[in-house]
Amino acid sequence: MDTQTVARKALLFDSTRCIGCGACYSACKEKNKLPKTSVDFLRDHLSADTFTVVNRRNNRYVRRMCMHCNEPTCVSVCPVGALVKSAAGPVSYEASKCMGCRYCVQACPFNVPQYEWDDPITPRVRKCDMCRNRIAAGLATACATVCPTGATKFGNRDELIAEAEERIRANPTRYVTHVYGIDEVGGTSVLLLSDVPFASLGYSTDVLPQPLPHLTWNVLHKLPTVVSIGGVLMSGIWWITRRREDVKRAESESKSSRKGAD
Amino acid sequence: MTRLSPGWPKVTFWRVILFIVLLAGAYSALLRFTKGLGTTTNLSAQFPWGVWIGFDVLCGVALAAGGFTISAVVYIFHIEKYHPIIRPTILTAFLGYSLVIVGLMFDLGRPYNVWHPLIMWNPHSVMFEVGWCVTLYTTVLMLEFSPLVLEKLPWKRPFKIVKSITIPLVILGVLLSTMHQSSLGTLYLIVPHKLHPLWYSPLLPVFFFVSAIALGCAMTIFESYLSLRAFRKQLDFHLLTKLGAVAAVTLSVYLVVRITDMQSRGVLSQAFAPTYEGRMFLAEMLLGVIAPIVMLFIPRIRHNQFGLFVSALMVVLGFVMNRMNVSLTGMDRSSVSQGGAHYFPSWNELAITASIVGAGFLLFGLAVKYLDVFPPEDMKEIAAGKRAQLPALAAFRAPLWSATTGAFVMCVLFMGASVALAYDGIRRREPAIHLSEGSGTVDLSRGLAELKMPGAIAIKMGPDSPGQCFFSHARHVNSKDPNCSACHAGLFRMLPTTPDITADKKMRNCGVCHDGVKAVGILQKERCDSCHLKS
Repeated sequence: MDTQTVARKALLFDSTRCIGCGACYSACKEKNKLPKTSVDFLRDHLSADTFTVVNRRNNRYVRRMCMHCNEPTCVSVCPVGALVKSAAGPVSYEASKCMGCRYCVQACPFNVPQYEWDDPITPRVRKCDMCRNRIAAGLATACATVCPTGATKFGNRDELIAEAEERIRANPTRYVTHVYGIDEVGGTSVLLLSDVPFASLGYSTDVLPQPLPHLTWNVLHKLPTVVSIGGVLMSGIWWITRRREDVKRAESESKSSRKGAD
Repeated sequence: MTRLSPGWPKVTFWRVILFIVLLAGAYSALLRFTKGLGTTTNLSAQFPWGVWIGFDVLCGVALAAGGFTISAVVYIFHIEKYHPIIRPTILTAFLGYSLVIVGLMFDLGRPYNVWHPLIMWNPHSVMFEVGWCVTLYTTVLMLEFSPLVLEKLPWKRPFKIVKSITIPLVILGVLLSTMHQSSLGTLYLIVPHKLHPLWYSPLLPVFFFVSAIALGCAMTIFESYLSLRAFRKQLDFHLLTKLGAVAAVTLSVYLVVRITDMQSRGVLSQAFAPTYEGRMFLAEMLLGVIAPIVMLFIPRIRHNQFGLFVSALMVVLGFVMNRMNVSLTGMDRSSVSQGGAHYFPSWNELAITASIVGAGFLLFGLAVKYLDVFPPEDMKEIAAGKRAQLPALAAFRAPLWSATTGAFVMCVLFMGASVALAYDGIRRREPAIHLSEGSGTVDLSRGLAELKMPGAIAIKMGPDSPGQCFFSHARHVNSKDPNCSACHAGLFRMLPTTPDITADKKMRNCGVCHDGVKAVGILQKERCDSCHLKS
């Protein structure tokens, strides 16, 4: 299923079209069989039982969910490969592999992964998986399916980027001339459009433009070299210092034996 | 000191303290494995790594630094005079790593999967490397430590086998330690957006490694002094003085590289800003790095037993403070900006950490008592000495203005200042920053212009239905401000491709609103035609 030929899918969220009706929020709860977590969904926040939220920020409604990065930090930091990025885009989690180190929670630049803090024995990391099995079945994500205004739209990432840029071109005075998610942390599968600065919607604008995994890989990929050079170096030093002592000992022995001969 | 019964250990102040700590730890452990991390700790999604990672893991691993530094010096460089120090440092390293593993058992959500990195590889993960290093180096340390136990046993063969592989073990140990000490710093390279710039640096792995070497020397001095007080067993003081000098030189290098790095990143001025982070940074650098460097470079202090001990203690405290600053202080700001709380460990977290440290002291004591950790010849020397000649006691009788008194005052100041700063910082920080919701109304016009609600949905007819019912979104939804969540996910599913609405007399679904009060009741016989079409 996940071959290179699969087109990368994405979600385009246009905050100017969102009316805060909560359809995405409810559909997500329904799809993932999540319990009710709040009286007013607009005041809910991401949690182990809430994978997407609609909040009011700067007099706009704005969604938050997993960004499904092209080069996900969570996938790179997971020591056991419990988080996987599929070719189609979704970043998903497999609980049976997880050992619960929570490095993904710590490292995510968007603070998305949540944890089942109250489960003493089998806690899981919880987050949006972009309706992985719906995508595999050729369907749109639950949130995009039910969105009544088209504020959340599902499609191929290339086409959605083209559409987002077209919307900006058609309405240059309305939109901020930037599609959030094309370049942020190396690109994400959730793209955002807005008519106010993204920072005022709670989207960090000082995330690096490069994928974060490079920061640690730059160090990690040197390790085999360091280890082999270090190993050879230390063996060498050991051999030389031992040899020096052997020579010294032999010299002193021969000296003393000569003395004895005298 | 009363004797409970023959064979029972004496009741002493420190034993009572240890007992209380272990009891609190046992209760907290029970809580951890019955109620979960949420109840036991103050961790949250905004602050997922707390004091168990910051202290137990980051500092526990560093305890091994003495082990690999001294082993390398003795076995690789053949500087034999340090040979007597090897055993205590290996013991410390082994205990340090064992304690890390015990700490992880509490912190990991699924501790029974701790072996997974060995078979489920992800070489891109620093944590993967850390996992392998912990496993391999604990094994190496166990083998390096095993002669102490094996030599007490009647079988000579395993002892000989372990002895014969000493050199490869040492080389492997040094390599693994280098990797591991630095990789704990590498762990934090992935959070440039979260860790405060006073501590985030591309050189974090280097800083972690170099400071671990200084700590290795300091810990050896520290332990030797404690052993002297507790067991009358100690290492050659001359060697310890040399180690103090090595620590001072290493710390100087560390200090220069760190300051240079901060200068080049343009964050040096933030150290003097009147912020929580700035003050914690200054405390760490002034009391934990600069002060011990100065003290160790003054021969009068370095050659004084108590002066050397206090300097070493300050290095250790400075090191702990650095790791706590990286893992806790430096991450606090990011937690708060996400709307999270200020992290301060819960008493349960502290109790478990204290228990682990207490168990470490206990095991160290037992090992010194029953195994030949310290060279036997040194032992006799000190056993022959009189208690009154113990340098520590002499130091207490020294004049007020002596260097050692100064050192002691510095140390007390250090601890006082760190605690006061941390407490003050946590207490006085401004409340969590919440993104403004805005004060006006949200302009829905663009969205409403695009609004497409589903059309009429036929409701499944029962056998006794008076006629077909259709549900109309248009009639039920406030088209000026629709709220889908009012009915959806709770009352009606929204994802089925074919609508599956049913209404029944049990007043579920439609009946929740159509109860005869909020809206026409589904059981109001005279109003059937409000919903049912006449056939």
